[in-house]
Amino acid sequence: MHISEGVLSAPVLVSGGALAAAGTAVGLKKIDYDHLARVGILSATFFVASLVHVPIGPSSVHLIMNGIVGLLLGWAAFPAILVALLLQAVFFQFGGITTLGVNTIIMALPAVICYYLFAPLLHKDRKYLLLAGFGCGFCAVLLGGVIVGLALMFTEENFLKVAMLVVTAHIPVMIIEGIVTAFCVAFLKKVQPAMLP
Amino acid sequence: MFYITVKKWSLKMGRLSLFVIVLLLLPLGQALAHNVTVFAWVEGDTVHVESKFSGGRRPVAAPVEIYDTRGDLLLKGVTDEKGEFSFKVPKKTGMKVVLLAGMGHKGEWTIPLSDLEAVGTETTAQAEEAYTPSSISTDSHQADAALLPEGGNPVPAGYVTAAEIRKAVEAALDTKLKPVMKLLVETRRSGPSVTDILGGLGYIFGLIGVAAYFSAKRRKS
Repeated sequence: MHISEGVLSAPVLVSGGALAAAGTAVGLKKIDYDHLARVGILSATFFVASLVHVPIGPSSVHLIMNGIVGLLLGWAAFPAILVALLLQAVFFQFGGITTLGVNTIIMALPAVICYYLFAPLLHKDRKYLLLAGFGCGFCAVLLGGVIVGLALMFTEENFLKVAMLVVTAHIPVMIIEGIVTAFCVAFLKKVQPAMLP
Repeated sequence: MFYITVKKWSLKMGRLSLFVIVLLLLPLGQALAHNVTVFAWVEGDTVHVESKFSGGRRPVAAPVEIYDTRGDLLLKGVTDEKGEFSFKVPKKTGMKVVLLAGMGHKGEWTIPLSDLEAVGTETTAQAEEAYTPSSISTDSHQADAALLPEGGNPVPAGYVTAAEIRKAVEAALDTKLKPVMKLLVETRRSGPSVTDILGGLGYIFGLIGVAAYFSAKRRKS
């Protein structure tokens, strides 16, 4: 889901960078001392999740974990994902430095959207809890694919075609992340309910 | 009472941290990922392009574009089911091979002009058979004085020209070096190492440490 260097046009890169900077500023404002450790752990989770390769589907896809990051961090997902993406670009050559802003939007914006969509459901009973966890993991990846399509729309590729391609390639990832997120949420509810929003 | 709460809390934290450690170590067993790498090398007058995602899978039917040093498109092609693509050198120039693996994945490899010396020899050698020496010297595109036989004069039959020797050596070297090239392709960056992963994690925790330091300082004041 990372967009490489040299694929996107300059206006897309600049506007992606500006949006990511705004999101990161909001996120940094929202982080207080008590939540710092959580931001670090989830940033690290996001950083390594991309190494879990899913060998199903037409292209090469990996886990993203932006759903759980968003659900537990809210707006703080922006700085967490930005830092992790920067390190992925430097250490793994995923994405790139110039596409950092766009890639942050691709993964952090769905995280924040899913936070607002699914966090209120977590306080209902257990059935809703698992469903909300699954939906959060699933939709975060789905929305990410849609944003990739949007970003690539401004180059020569056709929006609907690219978005469909990215989304279909990530269907296995969506299901896996849905299950993992549901499991995480259920586990946290039992062990550390204070961590849930 | 207090003791019990602390014990309960530490038990919870213990389970939580175990969970986090499992989550973090999960991928180490399968250090696989997905940026796309391209590797191209020259063999005789043919350029071979190999590509793969760093998870080891090959991009199939991905478009490949070849540009010259000025950025003009020379030719286009698609990779086969092994992620490979070969083409005849269209022009003696430095080339840039660009692989578009779709969905924003892109890989590049540059072939410097120096890699194509052999191609020049071959074309000149062919030209030598086809034309008289004078026609070669007017052909500005292929004329390379150093590669022509002494003084550009026709060579008597039975003699081996420098160009022919060069061609034979190139051919022999190509066959000898083929397995080595294959090996190079195989070993080239097959994915992030454990060092990379641990390094990145260290950075994240370090940054959080720095943030915690400043945050704590601000809280005190």
